[in-house]
Amino acid sequence: MRALRAELSKLVSLPASWLAAAVGVVVSAAVTVLSAGSSTPGPDTGFSSLALGVAGAIVIGVVAMSSEYAVEGEESAGGRQITTTLTAVPSRLRVLLAKALAVAMATAALAVVAIAVTFGLTALLLGDRAPVLDADAIVRMGGMALYWVLVALLAFALTVLTRNGVVPMAVLIANFSAVPVTFLLTRVADLANWLPDVAGMRMWSRGLDTSVEIAPVLGGAVMAAWVAVLLVIASVTFTRRDA
Amino acid sequence: MLTFDQLTKQRGSRTILDGITFQARPGRVTGFLGPNGAGKSSTLRILLGLDRATSGTALVDGQPFASLRDPLRKVGAVLDGSGAHRSRTGRAHLRWVARSAGIGNARVEEVLGTVGILDAAGKKVSTYSLGMGRRLGLAAALLADPEALVLDEPVNGLDPEGIRWIRLFLREQASSGRTVLLSSHLMGELAETVDDVVVIRQGRIVADGTLAEVTGSHRNLEDAFFSLTGDRGAR
Repeated sequence: MRALRAELSKLVSLPASWLAAAVGVVVSAAVTVLSAGSSTPGPDTGFSSLALGVAGAIVIGVVAMSSEYAVEGEESAGGRQITTTLTAVPSRLRVLLAKALAVAMATAALAVVAIAVTFGLTALLLGDRAPVLDADAIVRMGGMALYWVLVALLAFALTVLTRNGVVPMAVLIANFSAVPVTFLLTRVADLANWLPDVAGMRMWSRGLDTSVEIAPVLGGAVMAAWVAVLLVIASVTFTRRDA
Repeated sequence: MLTFDQLTKQRGSRTILDGITFQARPGRVTGFLGPNGAGKSSTLRILLGLDRATSGTALVDGQPFASLRDPLRKVGAVLDGSGAHRSRTGRAHLRWVARSAGIGNARVEEVLGTVGILDAAGKKVSTYSLGMGRRLGLAAALLADPEALVLDEPVNGLDPEGIRWIRLFLREQASSGRTVLLSSHLMGELAETVDDVVVIRQGRIVADGTLAEVTGSHRNLEDAFFSLTGDRGAR
């Protein structure tokens, strides 16, 4: 509990997490505004904006861990924070659990804000052409929030392994925006539909044009399983290696 | 009491530490001296559970650090400079450390005052000088009023005023009954500060005793050190 409070305090006091929050909300909102003017509303209106805003979740997951290992030159006062973290909470499993929980909580809160802003904007800009917010839409919003949390945890687990934010940040942001490698793979191999992000998209998308049909709940479960496996690998690595 | 017993660490085929055995006692400042790369940091990191020993033990009052219920109340450590992320303020850094031990914000202000960086508490760590970073690290170590202090190269890179401040500070800590263990490759700076001296060279302890015992027939600690470590000061 103390470890969780420490990790939440870390996230809140780190400027990079506020940048992440801004990215999440601004990207979702900007894409919503841009597509309102250019494309006709479809089943995924709003949701497809949030699918790009998930970059904010990626940043949270990455910086929560990469900030522990950040160093500056010899002459600087900044130091590797991981030594402080592990002398304050020596149980590595507890540290990782607290961090994962803090990342999940922060990302869930961010997702709620981004979803509210996005659908507020669609209602404002599209008027009666805006997607109807019925029970199904609410369930899909829940799916989107869960999708953001799982993406953040995926980014977090990868950064535990790399101990540096650059590679996971670059690869994930590219894959979730400009170069959707995993999604394109579904064009050539049906198996790619079971990759974490593509499977997880079923939780909120109703207009997905893919080669294999996967039910939303199954898609979410597949993505959660991927994340769970990565978190286990990250925990084993983190508890065994020298800090 | 900090106890090292037959500590050995291998990295690949290289032996970093070989049979490290010594103690740091309450009420005394123990200087852990040796050239760069001799194994000082590795020894301290193993004590704090950051690195794993190949064999042997490093214990805090008879227990491994990682199994302590309230680690910050047993040992305050400064190993990586400030140990703080550059983009947080000094105060925010201390607050999260305080959270992890269930300590309130009033104590944070208290230790900021103790180490003399209260004025800079609201500034980002990236704007701190090396010396202020060290003080911030010390403040974090002191938060829970620990029984022992473990400091890796506390005077490295400090100006004369900073060195003097650390010296007086550590003497005070020891006289109030704390165990103080500090590592250094700077001999001259420490002769006046330490009670006990442990000298390490290439992963082995080559001398262990009171300042007078280790100095022995040499003119001073510095001479004794260079004769023990086989380095004539040619650098």
